[in-house]
Amino acid sequence: MTSMIERPPEVTAPVAARPRARWLPASAGQALVWFAVVALVVGPFFPLVYSSLRSKPIYLPGGTFTLQAYRTLFADPLFWRAVRNTVSFAVGTTVLAVACGTALAILCGRTNLPGRKAYGRLLIAPILIPPLGLIVGWLAIYGQGGYLTQAVSRNLHLPVWNLSSIPGMSLLGAVITIPIVYLAVQAALTGTDSSLEDAARSAGAGPWRVITRVTVPMLRPAILNCTVLIFALCLEILGIPLFLGTPSNIDFYASYLYRSWSTGATPDPSFVSAGAVLLLVAVSGLLIIRARLSGSEQRFIVTSALGGGTYRPLNLGRWRWPSCIALGAFIGITSVIPLLGLVLMSCVKVLTTLEVPWHLFTADNWHLVATDPTLRRSITNSLLIAGGGGAATVLLVAAATLIAHRSGFPLRRTLAPALIYPRAVPGVILGIGFFWTYLMFAPGALVRNNLWGELIALCVRNLTLAYVVIYPSLARINAEFDRAARSSGAGWWTAARRILLPILRPALVAAFVLMFITLLGDYDPVVFLQKPGTEVLGVTMLQTWQRGIVGPVAALAVVQVIIVAVVLLLGSRVLRRLRRA
Amino acid sequence: MPDIRVEHLSKSLSGTRVLDDVSFTVKDKEFVTLLGPSGCGKTTTLLSIAGLQTPDEGLIACGDETFVDLGAGVDIAAERRNLGIVFQSYAIWPHMTVAQNVAFPLRVRKVRGRAVTARVREVLALVELSEQAGRYPHQLSGGQQQRVALARAIVYSPSVLLLDEPFSNLDAKLRERARDWLKGLQHALGLTTVFVTHDQTEALSMSDRILVMNDGRILREGTPEEVYRQPRGRFVAEFLGQCNFLAGAVSAGPDGDAVLRTPEFGDGIVVPEHHAGPIGTIAVRPEDIEISQPGARGGGPAGTVLDASYLGDHYQYRVAVGTVQLSVRSQRPLAQGPVRVRIPPGVATFVE
Repeated sequence: MTSMIERPPEVTAPVAARPRARWLPASAGQALVWFAVVALVVGPFFPLVYSSLRSKPIYLPGGTFTLQAYRTLFADPLFWRAVRNTVSFAVGTTVLAVACGTALAILCGRTNLPGRKAYGRLLIAPILIPPLGLIVGWLAIYGQGGYLTQAVSRNLHLPVWNLSSIPGMSLLGAVITIPIVYLAVQAALTGTDSSLEDAARSAGAGPWRVITRVTVPMLRPAILNCTVLIFALCLEILGIPLFLGTPSNIDFYASYLYRSWSTGATPDPSFVSAGAVLLLVAVSGLLIIRARLSGSEQRFIVTSALGGGTYRPLNLGRWRWPSCIALGAFIGITSVIPLLGLVLMSCVKVLTTLEVPWHLFTADNWHLVATDPTLRRSITNSLLIAGGGGAATVLLVAAATLIAHRSGFPLRRTLAPALIYPRAVPGVILGIGFFWTYLMFAPGALVRNNLWGELIALCVRNLTLAYVVIYPSLARINAEFDRAARSSGAGWWTAARRILLPILRPALVAAFVLMFITLLGDYDPVVFLQKPGTEVLGVTMLQTWQRGIVGPVAALAVVQVIIVAVVLLLGSRVLRRLRRA
Repeated sequence: MPDIRVEHLSKSLSGTRVLDDVSFTVKDKEFVTLLGPSGCGKTTTLLSIAGLQTPDEGLIACGDETFVDLGAGVDIAAERRNLGIVFQSYAIWPHMTVAQNVAFPLRVRKVRGRAVTARVREVLALVELSEQAGRYPHQLSGGQQQRVALARAIVYSPSVLLLDEPFSNLDAKLRERARDWLKGLQHALGLTTVFVTHDQTEALSMSDRILVMNDGRILREGTPEEVYRQPRGRFVAEFLGQCNFLAGAVSAGPDGDAVLRTPEFGDGIVVPEHHAGPIGTIAVRPEDIEISQPGARGGGPAGTVLDASYLGDHYQYRVAVGTVQLSVRSQRPLAQGPVRVRIPPGVATFVE
């Protein structure tokens, strides 16, 4: 190395011209991306509010500004009943989900429960199961005509539960939302120093006391945070009341809006828009509270020189194996049995305990899925949306994320909130908003009657997921990487394309997989947009179920689960290869 | 290669002034170091020259090209300034091989084909990494990564080389070698270089000129020797190694020198500088103070060795003289107890 000093200079002549000024400044492209994101996210809300304040639907001539829609809504006793139902459901679900999710996270994260790692993975699996599939599976097993319900009532002559009651629906709601609590609490647990618990144990506290006096209080911010989040999610839930509430005539807020819309005497009633605006206000209020709560989390951030600390699990003692078995039973009852029920239901004429299943075996459901044009189209349409829409969204969000966090674009700070907001807004509201947007603006006619309209609504609704995957990865990339590219002569877009996006490749793949899975299962933004010829899986399942045809719905749900499993498998293989390279 | 001119650079970040009227010039082929503690504004200055941060006010020019002149609304984008920069983290792109990393600046300049391969080979030979051309960054050692970063910075023969603490990620032994090697390369290629560091040894050993910065201002500017010998301010004196300060009455001595008297040094300390005013403070480096056994001839005032530590090539003593404590560096082993302390004429300098 030191021999260099004596060596004469070999090259000093310039070898290349300096980079030319571009004919278009980088900020023009950045402005384009910014405008696309903001228009897509904020756009639908103006027509929504506007239509709720008009006396006639937008497409009819005339009409004046009025609060009539709100008056109609408040005068409807069914509306108030739906509000009451929704609030009781939300309270029940939230309490159950937060209590169980926290307990499970502590069990799997801080104790010596046998098999805690495997359980931890299984517990978050429901996030990846398409929500309608889980609902249909639950109905097949625990619904009023469900297999186990029948077994208990008809064969054992015992009193049975009613899944179609508000407590029953809360139970299913909790099962669907427990993974969210589990993930949030688990993240908080990993982030806190377990030496705090060790300190309590050294001070003479037993495991139970450590959990109640140290662990749980430390988790308070995370628990509060997901309490508000789950409450907000419950307010907008549509699938549960439509599938479970219909037999017992229980409507929730979202299903009330949906039913009023699809069965109303006047088409597209403006009081539905009014209802959507009110829900938007309520949910936005909750999310503001949530943001405030997160702000006061600072005092729970433990200052520790080393951080983490070695983790020694709390000893459950003689409760080890009973807890393990109970947790296994919980997963079996909430996820495994319903999934098996789903598969079974797709292969039989009718699911009943009066006859052994293999006597009722039929391929008709699957035959129908393979031949019926509507069902087939809903599969191909959903695949198109999930694949094409997912890829396009990931690219747009990646560009927007880079602009938001790695550019000098003047309005960059507005992008991050714009990327987070769509997921915070109830899907049905976004759906109604897009419905009016397509009607109100001339370019809307281009997408109103084809798949593009639904693709846009679904992708906008879920683009937040791509952002939450891409942003943390971007934040971990040293800013000196792009600085070095800029100093080497690359413009902003060249640096983004040649340096940042290639480094982000694993995050982009992960974001695409998550988008694909979610787009395949999501339906609430498009229940107001679907037309013959533009069916997607979720809405087709919903409508077929409402017509009383259950076997093919189960088959479609199985198809959904299989596609998700295949995509997850492929995605994780690609990711592993990318990470190795 | 051109001069760099920086004039009246100022910048505030959320209320605090990170740069306060910074002006300096770097002459052609000169190696200039911005030295200071973290947060003093040295990196902000460097990034402003590179175009990666925009100052609030001021002018930066390179040769006859103005990079930034906020008064005239000029702010050339970083990618058009044609500078080479080596970052503290090296910022070698992990998804590219060594050769691809080095070729990137050529490719964005639309150099194509054999010209790229030839030039990359040439530069990699220069930084002695020809063998590693096909490797990925994570397969390289810290020293090799640093040389990749350097190769990438000089591959397109930039007019100016900017170095942002390039040695801070190397261990002490390697750092010393890398320092000599980089200085040699800079000299051989005749690169105009701005170097940012908080390490006084790096600054003293490599620079043609040092600018000592603190709180967004340049406190002292000069050759390493000038800055070390005549720091002119307490901060500069202490930042560049240890220093003793003595305050006392100043009178004029023979030959235009000044003489500082304190109760302890009643005979006076001769300072070969002009000083206005009746009182003053001088700075004396520990290695310039002479201590000897109490019986020795020609010793100054009496003192007491309070403690000693052995540091291999010298001893470090804490010596009390009257009410003041001095730190003294000496080759000579001395027992704790009485000694004589002498500050020879010409080693002290006035500070503010």
